Amino acid sequence: MSVCPPYAPFFGFGGVASAMIFSTVGVAYGTSKSGIGIAGLGTFKPELIMKSLIPVVMSGIIAVYGLVVSVLISGGLKATDYSLYAGFIHLGAGLACGFTGLAAGYAIGYVGDSCVRAYVYESKVFVTMVLILIFAEVLGLYGLIVALIMNARVSEASGCP
Amino acid sequence: MGLYSSYYTYGLSTFVTVVVALYLLFTGSGEAFNVGQFLEETSPYAWASTGIGLCIGLSVLGAGWGIFVTGASIIGGGVRAPRIRTKNLIRCIIGIVYSARMSPVPDTLLYTRENYFTGYALFWGGLTVGACNLLCGICVGIAGSTAALADAADPDLFVKILIVEVFGSILGLFGLIVGLLMVAQASEFTAAAPAAAVSPFVH
Repeated sequence: MSVCPPYAPFFGFGGVASAMIFSTVGVAYGTSKSGIGIAGLGTFKPELIMKSLIPVVMSGIIAVYGLVVSVLISGGLKATDYSLYAGFIHLGAGLACGFTGLAAGYAIGYVGDSCVRAYVYESKVFVTMVLILIFAEVLGLYGLIVALIMNARVSEASGCP
Repeated sequence: MGLYSSYYTYGLSTFVTVVVALYLLFTGSGEAFNVGQFLEETSPYAWASTGIGLCIGLSVLGAGWGIFVTGASIIGGGVRAPRIRTKNLIRCIIGIVYSARMSPVPDTLLYTRENYFTGYALFWGGLTVGACNLLCGICVGIAGSTAALADAADPDLFVKILIVEVFGSILGLFGLIVGLLMVAQASEFTAAAPAAAVSPFVH
């Protein structure tokens, strides 16, 4: 069992894919669910639509987190001189970013939908909505930070014998 | 299907996996469960072909799902407000299918590190593009259906709700970017210079 088997890039690519796919699941849920609320708000008060696009924008930021981690991890993948250690670290980094993005997108979708519907009746809800959305967004940011720290460890590893 | 359908789905597969694993362990052939051997002995062409198939298949599934969701709302809303029928159908085309840029050029069938790399890259790249397009299609479909219903209520809303759809469609774009990045490093399938297989599991 060698330290640098030829199947090590399988896990590295799995990390890239999972970072993008799982955060996309969260973003899709967030965008569509808050989009439903925004369309409902628009039929009653069209002048508030532009301000209530904030949940959709924050979901897009989660997608950018996933994109950044995917790009960073895929920059470190190579065919030769790639250890299993590097492969599993890349997989872990991708899963960390992906699942936190999934959770953040889910939260943003739910909060965005409910708060936007309440915004029709009470305009003071807006500040509260932004505060709650920030706390939901920060989950994805934590995943991004952990993924970046893990990815930095790969370059410290010794090369293949 | 009912309250316990997820128990059947996850519980049954877990049970079968545990039974198979314990059988292998207790009959002395625990070495047979070897993930590395499986990854080395499967052909890189299998991985690459599966990736390309998933790319196209999942993208088409996402486009179809989005069109179906939006179309149902357009037809339903068109009963009361027939003016929305042509304006909103243009939005169905957002669920486009990204053509497979990932086409391997096979030379000879040999198991080198670079060919393994290419096979895995094409598999995961195709899965990424396909899954992201699937999710983008569903998201744009749902956003489009609510846009159609909002447009039926008030024609001025259509352009504003379109912004939500634009944010949804960038998901497919990001998936395409990541897929292209993954495949960009992978070289074509080439024969090894000395005719040797790098894995002990290949005959």
